[in-house]
Amino acid sequence: MADSKLLIVAKREFTERVRSRWFLVMTFIVPVLLSAAMLFPAWLATRSKPTAEVRNIAILDASGAELGARVAANLAADSTLGPATSGSIGPAVRLVSPGQLAAAEDAATHEVMAGKSIEGYLVLTDSALSGASARYAGRNASSFSTMDRIEAAVKQSVMMVRLEKQGVTPGTIDSLSHLSVHLSTERISERGKGVAGTTGLLAGIGVGIMLFFSIIFHGQNVLRGVLEEKTTRVAEVVISSVKPETLLGGKVLGVGAVGLLQQIAWMGITFWLVASLAPLVVKSAGAAARGAGGAPAISSMFGGFTIGMLAATLAFFLLGFVFYATLYAAAGSMVNSEQEAQQAAMPVMFLLMATWLMVQGVIGNPNSGLAVVLSWLPFSSPIIMPIRMGLTGVAPAAVAGSMVVAAVGCVGAVWLSARIYRVGMLMYGKKPNFRELARWIRYA
Amino acid sequence: MSNLAIDIRNVVKRYEEHVAVRDLSLQVPRGAVYGLLGPNGAGKTTTIRMILDVIAPDSGTITVLGRPNRTAGVLDQVGYLPEERGLYKKMQVRRVLLFLAELKGISARDASLRIDEWLERFSLCTPERDWGDARVDELSRGMQQKVQFIATLLHDPELVILDEPFSGLDPINAQALKDAVVELKRRGRTVIFSTHVMDNAEKMCDSVCIIARGEKVLDGSLAEVRQAHGTRNIALTLGDAAQNGVGDVLRDPTLVQKVDESTRFFEVELAANADPQRLLRRLVDAGACIERFELVQPSLHQIFLQRVGMTGVETGMSGHG
Repeated sequence: MADSKLLIVAKREFTERVRSRWFLVMTFIVPVLLSAAMLFPAWLATRSKPTAEVRNIAILDASGAELGARVAANLAADSTLGPATSGSIGPAVRLVSPGQLAAAEDAATHEVMAGKSIEGYLVLTDSALSGASARYAGRNASSFSTMDRIEAAVKQSVMMVRLEKQGVTPGTIDSLSHLSVHLSTERISERGKGVAGTTGLLAGIGVGIMLFFSIIFHGQNVLRGVLEEKTTRVAEVVISSVKPETLLGGKVLGVGAVGLLQQIAWMGITFWLVASLAPLVVKSAGAAARGAGGAPAISSMFGGFTIGMLAATLAFFLLGFVFYATLYAAAGSMVNSEQEAQQAAMPVMFLLMATWLMVQGVIGNPNSGLAVVLSWLPFSSPIIMPIRMGLTGVAPAAVAGSMVVAAVGCVGAVWLSARIYRVGMLMYGKKPNFRELARWIRYA
Repeated sequence: MSNLAIDIRNVVKRYEEHVAVRDLSLQVPRGAVYGLLGPNGAGKTTTIRMILDVIAPDSGTITVLGRPNRTAGVLDQVGYLPEERGLYKKMQVRRVLLFLAELKGISARDASLRIDEWLERFSLCTPERDWGDARVDELSRGMQQKVQFIATLLHDPELVILDEPFSGLDPINAQALKDAVVELKRRGRTVIFSTHVMDNAEKMCDSVCIIARGEKVLDGSLAEVRQAHGTRNIALTLGDAAQNGVGDVLRDPTLVQKVDESTRFFEVELAANADPQRLLRRLVDAGACIERFELVQPSLHQIFLQRVGMTGVETGMSGHG
C-alpha cells in the first residue's frame, strides 16, 4: 500500500523530469564535452609528436670530423619518427669551414624563411665535438619533442665519433648504438600493474567532476521540487493522501533514478563517442602515432576502469545523492522562496565545496592521510573514494567499508531530513532559526 | 458500520506559543452537510488537518468512517480541498489529475475515464479546446479551481472535506460548487466544509459546529441550534428614521440586551425576562411608526456573534464573501 504510493510519487518525479527538454539537452551535451576533454589532449599529444619533418633540415658541419654525416644517419634511423619516406629530402649535410660558417648560416636562414625545402638548420662546430654545445635554428625550434630528437641524435653522434677515436671499429659502434628505447608509463597498484598512469589521472578527475556536478545538479533539483510543492501549496493535497516521508522518499527516489539514468547515458555515450572518434583523431595526426599503437591508447583513456569499479562508482553516486538530496530537501522544506532556499542550503553546499576543494590534494597524493580520512567520511567519501579507486589501488574491503559508512550517513541524513521536512512543508512564514529547527526535529 | 462519518473525541493540539485546538469533540453523521464555523484562527484548518492525518493531535482520538484515521486506506475514501489551493504548475492537467487519483488508489485506466468525464462536465474539454492537454499554468484561475475541485472528487470519496471552499470563487463557480454539494448529499455522501461566511452555512448545512479559540462553542443540527437560541429576537422595521425617544427605549437595559441597528431595520435581542409586549408598548408610546414587529428565530449570523462575541473575532470576521 504505502510502497505503491512511494512508487507513484517516484514515477511522477521521474517521468516529469525525463520529459523535460532540459534533460534531453543535458544528457547529450555533457558526453560531447567529456569526450572533447578526453580527446583534445590526445590530439594535442599526437600533434606535438616529432614527425618526419625533423629530417627536413640542413646540417652545417664545421666540426671537421664528419659529425654531420653521423647526425644525419642517426636521424634517418630514428624509429620513433617513422620510416623514412621517399618524398622527404632527408637531412642535407653541408660541410663548411669555420670561416665560411657565418655566410652559410645566412644562406640557410633565407632558405628556411622561403619555406620551400628545409624546416631549420643545425650548426655543429668543435664545441659540439667536445660535448659543450650545438645550435639549432628553425621554424619548429619551439617543439620540445622535435628538439629532443635532434639533441639525442647529436649526443649519440658525438659519442660515436669519440668511440671511433678510441679505436672501436665503426661496425661495432653501429651495432652497439642501434637502440630504440621508448619510456612507457605504467601504474603499479597493490593489485599489480595497471595501465598508463597519466590517463588514469584524467579518468579519475573526470569521474570526480561528474560525481560532484551530478550530486549538486540533482540535489538542487530535489530542493527546487520540494520548494515548488510547498510554494504552490500542492503539498497539502498530496500529504493528505500520502505520508510526508513517502513524498520525500518518492521524490528522492525519482530524481535519483533520473540521475542514475543520466549517469549511465553519459558514460555510455562518452565511451561510444571516444571509441568511435579516437581513431579519426589519431589518424589525422599522421602516421607517427600509429607507431605508439592506436587501439591500446584509446582503451587507456578510460584509465583501466573495470566493470566492478564502474558499479562501485554508480553505487557511490547513489549514496552521495541520497545523502545530499535529502539534506537539500530539508533545506527546501524550511523556506518559502528561491533566495531563502539558497541560504538554507548553504550548510549543505559548504560540505560539498569543502569536499571539492580537497579533490586536488587527493589527486596529487591519493594515498595521503587526508585522502584516506576523506574517503571514510560519509559526506566526502562518495566523491573521494571513486577518484582514489581510479588513481590508486584501493582494497575492495576498504571500498565496501566506506560504502557502509556512507550508507549509515545516508540513514542519518534521511532521519534528520524527514523530521524537518514533515514540519517544514506545512509551515509558512519566516525561516526557522536553529532553536526552532531543533524543536521540529524533536517533534515525534 | 458506524453511522458517523467522523467522530472526534477530546482532541488537543498545542503549538509552542498557543493552543490551536483544546479538548474538541464533535460528531458528523453520515450523509450530512456539516458546517465547521468559526472566525479566522479558531482552529478550523488545524482540526481538518488532524482529520486528514496531515498533522497529529497531541491527544485524543479521531475516527473516520468508523475506523481510526491512521488506518491504511481510510483516507483514500476522503476527498480534500485545502484552503490554499495549488497544483503542479508545469504539469499537464490530465497528468496532475491522474497522479492525484492514483495516490487515492484508483487505477490509471479507471482514472483516465473519470478524468474525461469530469473535464467535460466542467466544460474544460469542449469541441473547441481540450484544456486537459494544457499545462496547469496556462489555465485561468477559475479553471485551475475547477481542476482542483475535480481532483477532490475524482476518486468518488465517501467523505468530502472542503476548507473555505468559497474563498476566491467567482459567483458562477460558487454556484457550481453549491450544486455539486447538493448532488453529493443526494448521493448519500458526507460533506464537511469550513467557512466564516454564515450566509453560505445557513443555506447549505444540515448541522453546524461553531468553534472559537480552539474550543467548541456549540454544535447540533441547524434547527436545534436555532431552537436553543429561542425566539428572544425581534425584527423591527420603522416607517421613518428613528426618533430620539425610540432610541432611548432600545437602549433600556431592562428591555434590550443588544441591538443590531441599521437606519430603519433593527434586530433586537431581548434582555433576560423582558416582555416583548412591554417593549412594543414603550415603542408606541415613544411615537415610533412601526411597520413590522415580529418575534423571530435568530439568524446563524446573530447566534455566531452572540456566542462567539466580538472578542473571539480576531481578524477579518464579517459577513462578506
